[in-house]
Amino acid sequence: MEGTFAHHLSEAAVSVELETEGMTLNIGPQHPSTHGVLRLIATVDGERATNVRPVIGYMHRGYEKLSEVRTYPQIITIINRIDWVSGFANEVPFVVAAERLMGVEAPPRAQWIRLVLTEMARISSHLVFMASYPLELGAATPLFFALRERERVLDLLESVTGGRFHPNFNRIGGVKPVYAAGPTTKKAGMDIPSGFLAETRDAMTKVLATCEEIENLVAGNEVFLARTKNVGVLPVDVGASYGVSGPNLRASGAGFDLRTVSDYLPYAEFDFDVPVGRNGDCWDRWWVRLEEIRQSARIITQAIDGLPSSPLQAKVPRIIKVPAGETYVRAENPKGEMGYHLVSLGGLGPYRLKIRSASFSNLSILPWILEEALVPDFIAIMGSLDFVLGDVDR
Amino acid sequence: MTASPSENSVSEAAAALDEFADRVAGAVGGRAEVSHGTVKVRVASSAWKEALTVTSGDLGLVFLSWLSAIDWTNEVAVGDEPDEPVEERYELLCAVSNLSDGNLAIISTDLDHDSPSIASVADVYPGANWHEREAAEMFGIDFVGHPDLTKLYLPDSFEGHPLRKDFPLLSREVKPWPGKVDVEDMPENGSSPSTENPGA
Repeated sequence: MEGTFAHHLSEAAVSVELETEGMTLNIGPQHPSTHGVLRLIATVDGERATNVRPVIGYMHRGYEKLSEVRTYPQIITIINRIDWVSGFANEVPFVVAAERLMGVEAPPRAQWIRLVLTEMARISSHLVFMASYPLELGAATPLFFALRERERVLDLLESVTGGRFHPNFNRIGGVKPVYAAGPTTKKAGMDIPSGFLAETRDAMTKVLATCEEIENLVAGNEVFLARTKNVGVLPVDVGASYGVSGPNLRASGAGFDLRTVSDYLPYAEFDFDVPVGRNGDCWDRWWVRLEEIRQSARIITQAIDGLPSSPLQAKVPRIIKVPAGETYVRAENPKGEMGYHLVSLGGLGPYRLKIRSASFSNLSILPWILEEALVPDFIAIMGSLDFVLGDVDR
Repeated sequence: MTASPSENSVSEAAAALDEFADRVAGAVGGRAEVSHGTVKVRVASSAWKEALTVTSGDLGLVFLSWLSAIDWTNEVAVGDEPDEPVEERYELLCAVSNLSDGNLAIISTDLDHDSPSIASVADVYPGANWHEREAAEMFGIDFVGHPDLTKLYLPDSFEGHPLRKDFPLLSREVKPWPGKVDVEDMPENGSSPSTENPGA
């Protein structure tokens, strides 16, 4: 301090000492950028946060307890409500966990359909991010481009599963016999609806074109760059020790994608890249998700070109009983690692089902990442982590 | 596009998993179990924190996937009772993984059923902070040395530990469905062939 301008000021005749005082700022529980109900208790010193304490649990629905009193098929109907932006993707790891304990494997066509629909869920989830994130920073236009494409993808999802958000389409041993789903009720439509493949190919072309449009709109925007570049920087080692996963961790430079190292779905048969960021800031998190939409479109295009023929269901008993045992199956969901630790004693439902959701761990980084952050950056940082409170609270 | 994995590569993967399990068990001084592609290493509760310090350090399992518990008990208020009596205890589980080949190990330890208590690992894996708060409110486990063991999901005034097996689920006491009853009669234990798909 000695010799600085500030020092001279404070030594001046008027002897003014600027004193700042910590103030507690309450944010939420209702705020548009929280994607659910989240409350933050921030202690701020001027414009800078010194301590941030998230308060969660407003949406706690107790799915782990409910699973203990439900049969396996009944559980599928509740778990796609965990992360409602990508409901289909939530079902897959649970069904695979039950299949592993039962020693059954879904037929190839069912696995490929699961894979296509999971990637569609990823595209629709990331498009919501592409729509809402610039909006939270003041750019309204990308929303219309992104949601238009999302609607296209959701229509396709609905044409197969009958549901936009909560498909309830996976069955232990395969997928729902499709004649019972969707707008087609005829026996003739026992497979994916006719025209689905052509429409999907068309939709993927349009999604890729929209990615260009969004990139042209947003990536060069000076305001967007100023608000996201070098803001909310998250190093890989810190992120990993908090369990931050998915695009948030890849934006920090970790090329870790469960699709490439795990075999819950046949991703090994596809060509795709894992986009990795450099700086781990908000901009990288936005960019990684944009690239992931492109890669998902690439995977879907390959999958519909080579969709194998087989039944949609493996032979399983009419009443599902899972033999005693335990396993943990995790999947690369749009928001990160989603997994189910399934403990069965051989009954009609699990003895214990631990649900590992991505947003819970992604949100737990908030106290670390918001410390010393500027209050105006809160929304930029929180939005870039792309969490959904249903996925946090379970 | 490649062909689906051959038998050889499946057994190679199983061997690699066994090797990984043994390496973790050796490093943390525990006992490895591999079941359905999941590696679990049991350690003594006194060695819990030390084991997780080793996994986060030398073993390079830097990614904290989750931490939770299982209430093993013979008297349950909701759900199924174990067919065969189990040793009453809380099993504490912590899943950690590396960021290269995706190998994941679940470190497990048993806690006393009457007064479950264990050293906190929130300073080893900072992400364990919230997971331990959740396990504390849901199972009533005391994490010694935790910086802020307050309720995470539940209101401060909430009494009881909901994920304990003796905690009743009120909605199930009022109405049995949806639950493990169905509109059609369930078969007796050891389902008869008539309940199965023909040719299954």
